[in-house]
Amino acid sequence: MMSAGSLRRRFGTDYPLLQWVVFLEVLFLALPTLIILVASFGGGDIITFPPENLSAKWYVSLLSNQDYIDAFANSVLVATFCTALAIPAGVLTAVGLNRYDIRFENTIRLYLLLPFTIPLVVSGVILLILFGRLGWINQLWAVGLALTVINLPFMIWSVSSSVNGLDPMLENAARNLGAGRFQTFLHVTLPAILPGIISGSLLMFILGLNEFVVSLIITTPQTRTLPVQIYSAIRGNISPEIAAVSSIYVVIAIVAILVADRTVGLDQFLES
Amino acid sequence: MTVREKLQTSVTRIQWTFVDAINSVESALAERIDSGDGLKGHLLISPGIAVVSFLFVGLGLLFYYSILTFDPVDFVVYEYTLENWQNFLGLTRIHQIYYRTIKFSILNTVLSVVVAIPYSYLVIRVESSLVRRGLLFGLFIPFFTGVVVRTYGWMIVLGQNGLVNWLVQTAGFEPVNFIGTPIALSIGLLQYMLPFAVLMITPAIANIDRDLERAARNLGANRWETFRHVVLPLAVPGITAAVIVIFTLTMSMYAIPDLLGSGVLIFVSNLIYAKLFNTLNYPQAAVYSIVLIATTSVLVAVMFRLFGVGTLGIGEGEDS
Repeated sequence: MMSAGSLRRRFGTDYPLLQWVVFLEVLFLALPTLIILVASFGGGDIITFPPENLSAKWYVSLLSNQDYIDAFANSVLVATFCTALAIPAGVLTAVGLNRYDIRFENTIRLYLLLPFTIPLVVSGVILLILFGRLGWINQLWAVGLALTVINLPFMIWSVSSSVNGLDPMLENAARNLGAGRFQTFLHVTLPAILPGIISGSLLMFILGLNEFVVSLIITTPQTRTLPVQIYSAIRGNISPEIAAVSSIYVVIAIVAILVADRTVGLDQFLES
Repeated sequence: MTVREKLQTSVTRIQWTFVDAINSVESALAERIDSGDGLKGHLLISPGIAVVSFLFVGLGLLFYYSILTFDPVDFVVYEYTLENWQNFLGLTRIHQIYYRTIKFSILNTVLSVVVAIPYSYLVIRVESSLVRRGLLFGLFIPFFTGVVVRTYGWMIVLGQNGLVNWLVQTAGFEPVNFIGTPIALSIGLLQYMLPFAVLMITPAIANIDRDLERAARNLGANRWETFRHVVLPLAVPGITAAVIVIFTLTMSMYAIPDLLGSGVLIFVSNLIYAKLFNTLNYPQAAVYSIVLIATTSVLVAVMFRLFGVGTLGIGEGEDS
């Protein structure tokens, strides 16, 4: 047992009122996630509170539900494609923007923010029309491309903060000591901006895995991703199977956070 | 030499061959690139420009579609008309959906920022690293979980057989159906946007020198006064960024109004989706989309004027 004093020293803050307010906010943020985990272990055919009996049967039934398995595979492929495309595009753009004199820089920065300024649902409409004309609807890679288009600013942002934190004199020193441009990039620039690339890639991958509105508009039954599949399942019935498949996302989120914490530290995401 | 050493030597040799090759290509390229001033920078950003061009080009296409003719049989006929725009102007039922979207977006933006500020402040100022990590985990788990999953969670909490109704019934009251009410919609929107708000505001608070707060306290200000006159003004760049991001994102919400608003309290996104897939009326959907962009941009511009320059990464050279 910890004494009240040591508890206070460990968890207490200088802000007694604030800490209770924020504690309630944490509960509020966590509530839907926790409830999904609880409901996924319900044994009944519909979700009830409290759950009638505990059972893992919905997780077992997931394994034989081909719709969910296909949608999950699509989501992973699409998120991987989107991240693989965003890394070179985002790194080059961030380095170019922050290391070189660029004419019309403010205009270009505004242009690169288009994915954020255009409402997501409109981006979906735009890409539906465009991909439709190009004959790309029904292609899984096109869904991946769409996710790169709408989320690229996250990658540029993430890498930019690392690029700005790198002293240009270090690169100059490497060049003076005889390293070529490529060697300088590989041994000086890249290691310095790696945390930005890692956090940006993780963000792109997770956002790609979770993307909904644009995917809802541009996917077909063949290219349907997991969030869209879950959405149509919710509209159909409310079996705890949906809670089971949703809790996979909760697990993925927790794993992603642990990875982020181990590799670059969560603070990396707070830099802007 | 052992096998391992031999392997290492040959690997090194191959590496150097690569580096030499790249260096020679590079110096050949460098002569051409360095001659054009600033060309290299433009070359580097070109992949990013190309990716975003899908939206830029598509935006033009959207305007083009908005003046095409819709036909129930052939869907899109390539004849110009202003009928889609007239349809929009004439329907008050449609205008109400825009008003509702704006109303809930403004409400949600204010709520999210107000609720996020204490969270951001504690993340930065808390001394215990355990509490700090807990707060960051509490922030990132919902942030990394998608909108559909979180909305589904709220359906379980607020639904007819849900957690809240179980508590209500245990307390001896009649069950209430929250789904489809403004309360459920607002709760869903707030919980979805709160992590975005905290992530945007926290860096601004991190930049505030703690000595400024100490000075204010020493000069006799109480906690609230210090917060009101020192912390809040210095956090304005982060708050502006949060306001703009949350407002824009809420304006294009689809899943939350559909599932927690139960199809009754629909937003513009739901309207656009219905036009696209229920009647396949692309020209009308294009009009609704353009109006949504216009409404969002005008209101964002107004907020920018109200709050000043933010930390969105644009206009860095022009300090106000």
